[in-house]
Amino acid sequence: MPDSENGPEHELGPKFADAFQTKADGVRALQARGMANEARRRVRKRRHNLIAAAAAVLVVGGIGGVWTAVGGPSPVATSADNSSAGAGSGEEKAQAPQTDGTTCADRDPGISTQNYTQPPAVRGLDLESPVYGLLACRYRLVSGGTALLGSHFFSAAEAQQVVDSIKILPERNPALPVFKCAPEQARPQELIVLLFDTAQGQREVWVQYDGCADAGFFTGSRTYGLYAAPLKLFMIGNLRPTSGTYLDHLTGW
Amino acid sequence: MAAAEAETSALDFELFVTERADALLRFAYVLTGDRTLAEDAVQDALTTACARWSRVSRADDPEAYVKRMVVNAHISWWRRFRRRESPAADPDRTVPPSPDGHAARADAEAVWELCKTLPDRQRAAVVLRFYEELSYAEIGVLLHCAEATARSHVHRALAVLKNTLSKEGAEDA
Repeated sequence: MPDSENGPEHELGPKFADAFQTKADGVRALQARGMANEARRRVRKRRHNLIAAAAAVLVVGGIGGVWTAVGGPSPVATSADNSSAGAGSGEEKAQAPQTDGTTCADRDPGISTQNYTQPPAVRGLDLESPVYGLLACRYRLVSGGTALLGSHFFSAAEAQQVVDSIKILPERNPALPVFKCAPEQARPQELIVLLFDTAQGQREVWVQYDGCADAGFFTGSRTYGLYAAPLKLFMIGNLRPTSGTYLDHLTGW
Repeated sequence: MAAAEAETSALDFELFVTERADALLRFAYVLTGDRTLAEDAVQDALTTACARWSRVSRADDPEAYVKRMVVNAHISWWRRFRRRESPAADPDRTVPPSPDGHAARADAEAVWELCKTLPDRQRAAVVLRFYEELSYAEIGVLLHCAEATARSHVHRALAVLKNTLSKEGAEDA
């Protein structure tokens, strides 16, 4: 023993030493063979996993960066591939000037905690008026404001097609369920604002498909039920969510 | 050049394992008291050593270096957690009857059974003290505790052993 010791250690220490030595000498069939190979295999596997994890972090970081640049992550998943959605959004923002020169990113959508259902009547679209273009903006509703998730500019013909498919709809889609939920759950996570160019200037239709209070197309003075036909005309690219409270119960969009 | 160095390093590691694996396994068996745990602990330690072989091979005593890895692996929280996942029956502190009647063998069994009941750190301290014959300062370094704490671990184990053996002596009488 390296240290000078007292009674119990002198007395009982040798018993421990003997027992350990006896057991160590007596042990057989411990598998020593192949341990070096197994060690090398595990090291290779660890390194492989490490590289894969690092690559995954880089990819996620890259996607996160692009996504942040677009307007922040959405609580409602988007079907479009993230990288392509991000890139597409950048192009679309660049190619989607309003007639007054503004884009979705520039404008205040005017959605507030109290008013997330429909636009003020004065800004709402009269569906009988001709339209000359459409800028669709998909917003995430965050506490105290909004974040832009996607945008797309549609031609006059496409805009008119959207209007025509909305204005024939009934006030409510009876196929959709009616939810009972607390006020805090009623608030949708996101919303699409359709900005139509008209002879009177820019007019709006809000599309609500999430939350649990209501769903449909809102013009400020009228409500049209949420149906797939108009949705599939403009829910493309980064304007297209993969889910939403009411979308989950709607087919064909 | 780098490839040749890697090849040499691999051969060195292979040689080390061939020569030392048995000793490492015996040490791990004494430390853990279980063959499977011993093989696991040594394999984990060798894996870590393989990944850092250039450093391990330059150590004064590579075997002692790897034994430290075995001890660290054994007393690490996650390994203790894993062991809790497969509970075993409580070990019996009493000495099993010795078939050949040799007192020395009975004593060895008693000590071995007692060690199974010791907490991991206490058992590690005892093994390092009486199997590896390390000083308390060295044990403290290995177990990441003060020298006095290492001494306390060993003395508590000795006290338990003394108590157990006295009880058995009284029962035999």
